[in-house]
Amino acid sequence: MFQSRTGKLKVMGVKILLDKAHVEGIRYFDVYRREGGYQAAEKALKEMSTDAIVEEVKKSGLRGRGGAGFPAGMKWSFIAKPEGVPRHLVCNADESEPGTFKDRYLMEFLPHLLIEGLLISSYALGSHDTYIYIRGEYAWIVDILEQAIEEAKANGFLGKNILGTGFDCNIYVHRGAGAYICGEETALIESLEGKRGNPRIKPPFPAIQGVWQRPTVVNNVETLAAVVPIIRMGGDEYAKIGVGRSTGTKLISACGNINKPGVYEIDMTISVEEFIYSDEYCGGIANGKRLKACIPGGSSVPILPANLLLRTAKGEPRLMNYEGLSDGGFATGSMLGSGGFIVLDEDQCIVKNTYTLARFYRHESCGQCSPCREGTGWMEKILKNIDTGNGKMSDIDLLWDIQRKIEGNTICPLGDAAAWPVAAAIRHFRDEFEWHVLNPEESQKRNYGLAHYADPIYVATP
Amino acid sequence: MTEFNRLVSHYPEGKQKSALLPVLHLAQNSFGGWLSSDTMDYVASLLQIKPIEVYEVATFYSMYNLKPVGKYMFEVCQTGPCMISGCDDIIDYIGKTLGIKPGETTADGLFTLKTVECLGACGYAPMMQMGKTYREHLTKEKVDSIIAECRNNAAANN
Repeated sequence: MFQSRTGKLKVMGVKILLDKAHVEGIRYFDVYRREGGYQAAEKALKEMSTDAIVEEVKKSGLRGRGGAGFPAGMKWSFIAKPEGVPRHLVCNADESEPGTFKDRYLMEFLPHLLIEGLLISSYALGSHDTYIYIRGEYAWIVDILEQAIEEAKANGFLGKNILGTGFDCNIYVHRGAGAYICGEETALIESLEGKRGNPRIKPPFPAIQGVWQRPTVVNNVETLAAVVPIIRMGGDEYAKIGVGRSTGTKLISACGNINKPGVYEIDMTISVEEFIYSDEYCGGIANGKRLKACIPGGSSVPILPANLLLRTAKGEPRLMNYEGLSDGGFATGSMLGSGGFIVLDEDQCIVKNTYTLARFYRHESCGQCSPCREGTGWMEKILKNIDTGNGKMSDIDLLWDIQRKIEGNTICPLGDAAAWPVAAAIRHFRDEFEWHVLNPEESQKRNYGLAHYADPIYVATP
Repeated sequence: MTEFNRLVSHYPEGKQKSALLPVLHLAQNSFGGWLSSDTMDYVASLLQIKPIEVYEVATFYSMYNLKPVGKYMFEVCQTGPCMISGCDDIIDYIGKTLGIKPGETTADGLFTLKTVECLGACGYAPMMQMGKTYREHLTKEKVDSIIAECRNNAAANN
């Protein structure tokens, strides 16, 4: 234990989700149980009222781990409880944000942690039929989850009269079929009803009218898994991990040009620099290259050049948590988002990267709202032109204009998600775009390189 | 039909349409890897919904094939994180090795090459989906051995 810079006591590298991930056979019930699994479920179902569980989750400060960061306990407390109408908990396992592969890791290696979290949460919310909506491509994980569900059922932790408490609960796995938009909770609900994944207009919110018009709570895989340690240790203890409103631990999936891509659990007290360069995490930039840029929270959050990534505009070290990554707003900051941490080295082309992301969002737009349907395709075409040496100077301003007209003008946040990467790329890397336009031939032979993107930023002192 | 009934049993009575996505996966697997209009009409009759309700779903989701595909489908991710890890070279290499472009199937009906958007394997890039599983950390050598493996399997099953 040592005193961190925030004054809180912290244990180095505290792990409460992945602490058992490397135990041989942890995927199976017997080993998970032997390692202390399902004790939190026993505590919750036998000793706690449903209100007390919601209260612990509120006290924990747990925020939605899918990207939006909305307080989970508050979301739970919104659920309507009309007499005689079933309620449902739905686990969002549609993980599709480029750069994000943490839920996959949890489900593949610790399926019972998710099942236990689902059981406790289903009990707290009064859901007797709970669904895991998993992206269609994770086909082999469906088998892993269904096996875990069968094991839990065979051991009395699912099915009828669980642990003799009179609580009944079944969990079903619902496989999607390839659509990023189904990670948006109302599109997910439409898809669960066997329809196209077109987001619904809110209100009514799912907590009032969700799947089959019944009150529904949709939570991300990691959020629901985190309920297990919260019940085990208590909400107050959980809230002691981390900094400020960034409580608990967060799974970060790190990828791109780093030495050790993978899924890491962080306690949100470390700096971005430590996360990238320490051997405990990413292990530095691969092949001895220099860091150029990073998209720290999944492809939709603003990309930052190296200098703004490692330090805030005030010149302080940037921390790996909700507040740290968003310090400075969109002008000089980004977001923690889903924890999809994409690192770009000095050889990467920002224009090409932005083009592939624009193509992604065009491909995934559901087509309901004109600004998104038309705007994403338009941005993709312009970016492709610039990338292939066919761009005009006016294209850069046009891109800025289009993304401004998408943002905030659509039913769901996919519009914003498509606009932000383009906006941030132009905001911070405008000279790289201009270089592409002014050097159409050279830009096809080499990349712009690191340029000034890692230079220290002059901080004006008052 | 056992699997069909199991899937439908997951949803409340009268809400059998909810099973549409899982049932379409089952149908695609059972009827040659793609969804013909006959197959979709059959699914509609099984779930007691209108054929249009099946078509509108089948055309929305990228995993449903509306045209015949090869016995082995290489779905290579091309989104940002895979791009910065060199997926373009892998896509080119597969195309040259098999003599097809993305979206095409080899004349012998064995292989289809498709480019897809992010599959959630960004840390293990470049990667592709092949059937139910992912093939990750792709290199040219690895692609060669996967193609050989597919050819051997196909020969062994004939």
